[in-house]
Amino acid sequence: MYILATLKTFLLKWFPIFTHGMLKPGAPWYAWLGGIIGDFLIIGGILFLILRMVPARYRKSLIALLTFLGGVPYALEFFWPASKGGDNFLSLFVRQIGDGTNVLYSFALGLGIFSLMRFHANNLIRKRPGWHNNLAFFVAFFTMMLAGFANSVHHNAVNSNVFDMLFGGIVSALGSTMFSTIGFFIVSAAYRAFRIRSGEATLMLAAAFVVMLGQVPVGAWMTSGIPENGVWANLRLENLSYWILNQPNMAAQRGMYFGIEIGALAMALRTWLSLERGSFFEKEL
Amino acid sequence: MNHATLPVGMLILVICALILFKIFSARRGKSLFIRRIPGLSAIDEAIGRATEMGRPMMFSPGLLGLGLPTLQALSILKHITTIAAKYRTRIIVPTCDSVVFTIAEEISKEAYTNEGVPEQFNPDDIRFLSDDQFAYASGCVGILNREKVASSFLFGYFYAESLILAETGHQVGAMQVAGTPAITQIPFFITAADYTIIGDEFYAASAYLSREPTLLGSLVGQDYAKAVLVIIIIAGIICTTLAGFYPSWHWLTWMDWFKPVSQ
Repeated sequence: MYILATLKTFLLKWFPIFTHGMLKPGAPWYAWLGGIIGDFLIIGGILFLILRMVPARYRKSLIALLTFLGGVPYALEFFWPASKGGDNFLSLFVRQIGDGTNVLYSFALGLGIFSLMRFHANNLIRKRPGWHNNLAFFVAFFTMMLAGFANSVHHNAVNSNVFDMLFGGIVSALGSTMFSTIGFFIVSAAYRAFRIRSGEATLMLAAAFVVMLGQVPVGAWMTSGIPENGVWANLRLENLSYWILNQPNMAAQRGMYFGIEIGALAMALRTWLSLERGSFFEKEL
Repeated sequence: MNHATLPVGMLILVICALILFKIFSARRGKSLFIRRIPGLSAIDEAIGRATEMGRPMMFSPGLLGLGLPTLQALSILKHITTIAAKYRTRIIVPTCDSVVFTIAEEISKEAYTNEGVPEQFNPDDIRFLSDDQFAYASGCVGILNREKVASSFLFGYFYAESLILAETGHQVGAMQVAGTPAITQIPFFITAADYTIIGDEFYAASAYLSREPTLLGSLVGQDYAKAVLVIIIIAGIICTTLAGFYPSWHWLTWMDWFKPVSQ
């Protein structure tokens, strides 16, 4: 216990090196940015150097060891009993690893933007069919980026309005428009699904009919003549709908959940213990 | 944060032990049977269709970042890309996560290199579209329509965009194979896709496609784990019912041990 506590204090004090060891609260934003990049380069550089120094036949073992060590805090944190606050001695550490992972993850965004730029620039330079769409991408990308930067660096009424107009007025509206198309797609998909082709399709149509009717007032009105209490109340459409959703449907969903979660657990175990083979893990290092 | 209670922790350890035991037995050479999964068998058919039609395929690894569902989707991508490289069929992989994009690009490049046709790999076919849900969906819809995709594979974790992708694929006449662990999206895929991989079949995909002993062993271990859970559930139903008749027999309510403890 003492060793773990000491290790935790050590890690918190010295890793990340720049952001914890050299920066003080209130430091300017560029110092923080530089600190994060410095941490990334130093930790990444150390890991890369170790990997290069280790003979090729031991590299897989080293990566397996690092993968295992990376997973240990999560496993220990989950299995170790929690105190009354809901946390144990590793909870804070695990949260900080999560924050660090997010920082590392954000660096990869540059790769995605590079891919976008390359694709659209290629089409634009070669004037492929639809090149005006590629041009629209660049216009939209740089306009949104400039508006975002301007709004965060010089936050005033003009910049704020421009940003809100672009983001709220265009980006969000486009997202909502795309979302609303689901309504049309549901109709066409439901039409195909509910066509009576087999016994199963007929059963599904009947169940869907009852569930949909049970959700709307007209459904309740149709069977309002049936008493609200007693055995016959089960035949009221709203009760039938509730029963289908919460009994057979829920049982099927939970059955699937069991399978999915055990599958996920098995995959996590294989990845953690580096047992995974046969997909993309067999590459020589 | 979530923590295991003693019974839950023990149950998880038992499940892990079962899976590991079967993995190591399979590695020792024990032959294992795996039933036919039509959705996964249809993958080869979909690739063949695209090859015959001379049109590209599309593979979407879902909307999640680098999590377990995406890792599973990427292992399926590896299989599909290898066959696509063999038949010189183009496959377009739109991604919504930059890390997933990098891995997908590496997988595709490696598949083409392994098949001896590295020059066939087109970096523009592995695309990062957007990390916004509906921007990504509209990008995929654009690809499906513009490229006249012959086969569409939707593997990974999807949200509301699942129906948009699957219905558009249906409209352009693409043969579609879909699989997701997102329970709420499975009905949409069943409705719109030609083949749907349901529930834990999604995690069985890499074992089914590669027939690798470790993965097959893991799959059989999962089945044993499910059998344990079924036994616990049946015993729990019986005991909980009996507890209604014999309230003084407190041990009959042992299923309560598995309930989460409020902190």
